[in-house]
Amino acid sequence: MSGKTGSTWRGQLISPIAVIAGLLAWEISARLFIDPFFLPPVSVIFLGAVELYQKDLLFVHIGVSMARILTGWVLGSLIAIPIGLIVGSFLTAKRIVDPFIHFLRFIPAIALVTLFIVWFGVGELSKILLVMYATSFIVLINTATGVGTIHENKKLAAQTFGANAWDIFLLVTIPAAMPSIYVGMRLALASSFLVIVAVEMLAAESGLGYLIWTSKLYFKIDWMFVGIFLLGFLGLVSDYAWKMIGKHVLGRFVRESANY
Amino acid sequence: MTIDLNQVAFSYATTQGSGPLILENIDLTVPEGEFLILLGPSGCGKSTLLRLIAGFDSATRGRVTIDDKPIRGPGKDRGMVFQDLTSALYEWLTVRGNVEFGLRISGVKPEERRSRCDEALQMVNLLAHADKFPDALSGGMKQRVQIARMLAMRPSIMLMDEPFASLDAQTRQMLQNQMVSIWNDVGGTAIYVTHDIREALNLGQRIILMSAGPAAGIKHTYDVPMDYPRNQTDPVYIDLLERISLDIEEEVKKVWV
Ligand SMILES: Nc1ncnc2c1ncn2[C@@H]1O[C@H](COP(=O)(O)OP(=O)(O)O)[C@@H](O)[C@H]1O
Ligand SMILES: [Mg+2]
Repeated sequence: MSGKTGSTWRGQLISPIAVIAGLLAWEISARLFIDPFFLPPVSVIFLGAVELYQKDLLFVHIGVSMARILTGWVLGSLIAIPIGLIVGSFLTAKRIVDPFIHFLRFIPAIALVTLFIVWFGVGELSKILLVMYATSFIVLINTATGVGTIHENKKLAAQTFGANAWDIFLLVTIPAAMPSIYVGMRLALASSFLVIVAVEMLAAESGLGYLIWTSKLYFKIDWMFVGIFLLGFLGLVSDYAWKMIGKHVLGRFVRESANY
Repeated sequence: MTIDLNQVAFSYATTQGSGPLILENIDLTVPEGEFLILLGPSGCGKSTLLRLIAGFDSATRGRVTIDDKPIRGPGKDRGMVFQDLTSALYEWLTVRGNVEFGLRISGVKPEERRSRCDEALQMVNLLAHADKFPDALSGGMKQRVQIARMLAMRPSIMLMDEPFASLDAQTRQMLQNQMVSIWNDVGGTAIYVTHDIREALNLGQRIILMSAGPAAGIKHTYDVPMDYPRNQTDPVYIDLLERISLDIEEEVKKVWV
């Protein structure tokens, strides 16, 4: 914990005040100095959001993007975690999988958008698979690294208690790797946003990426800013939610990894 | 249970085959119930020797046996307290969780698990801290968790690798006394590694002084014919302290010049 101001109710007010001040500064300077075509004032963007809401589009775009992100992120993690645990635990598995992992992880999901559409169609499948792809490498590498850095003494101690290899995997390896898995999933969540926007700009009929892309075509600059703003906001909220899950649900297992 | 080491040599495996010999010509018999000290300068191979008995490594040459049966890996008959304060504890488990860990794996029933855990925590005065997590404990308390965790398993051989080396002098002294009374209560063999001569004299019935490496062996063996707690002003204590100091100084010099 930082200094005294961090924990008092006064301290709690610092962030909201900073946000309001920032929005005010934006509003005023946008009205006074900036061409609204480049940067509309906050109030205009807000009205754009209201307009989208009245057309029943706002929550559709939000819902569609978030569903793609969360589905791909969860499924990608579910695949990556077991593989990461195995790769981190067994040298042979590592040697088999390593070349593939280190080759594929440098091919960004964005480079695969067109290919995935050819392979898996223009529907939801290709989009979710791309998010899974981006998620799984990050989670896998973090998980395997976490397993690799577990101190030998933890396993030796377990052996003196009569633990067999399976006991150790279940009762030492998995809980000890939890902080790395948790951090990996947090990083992957951010990259899922990146991927989904790119996909939706190139090939989608809905979602925030689609909103941003098409707004440009119709000169609806305020809608474009609604899309941009929502990405930041939803990212912040998802990240905060994951952090709270870390603190309050996984608590003992992830410890200080959920502090920032 | 009698531990026997017969002409033991050891080298760590490296990528280019086996490395230099760390231990050579080790002959040692530890009778059941003895409090034995492995004493020697840093890096001479005390931990390595203890690991051979624990079964974490196996001898490159020679035989390591318990009751004439060769050691094939770690087992519940041998408990271990590691030198490092944090790396051997399970930080996601409470003190109780750590102490019950081995009992759980061994399939001990919940009621008995609880009573054996309480008993072990009582012996190291940690019962009041049973629900804390390791990161909320001081260094001395963490080492007591390791000791309690070992005691709960009731091993016939207790292996301890400089368990109090990183603690302050007062805590160390207190824990040394506690260790002797625990060993008195539970019985069993204790093999205790240290580089501290006074600690060796406070705890051990017999002190094995190792020569400096590489290829370290047993230099001399000292019996400590004194009752516990050891009186540091007793002429026998002072005489042993001087003789062992000179002996170990000779070894340290070998490494330095
Ligand atoms: N895992 C290892 N691989 C290679 N050499 C090691 C390893 N562990 C210890 N050694 C070497 O073995 C020697 C003895 O180490 P150790 O048994 O830890 O000494 P001590 O416990 O007496 O300080 C040292 O020279 C050390 O560098
Ligand atoms: Mg050592």
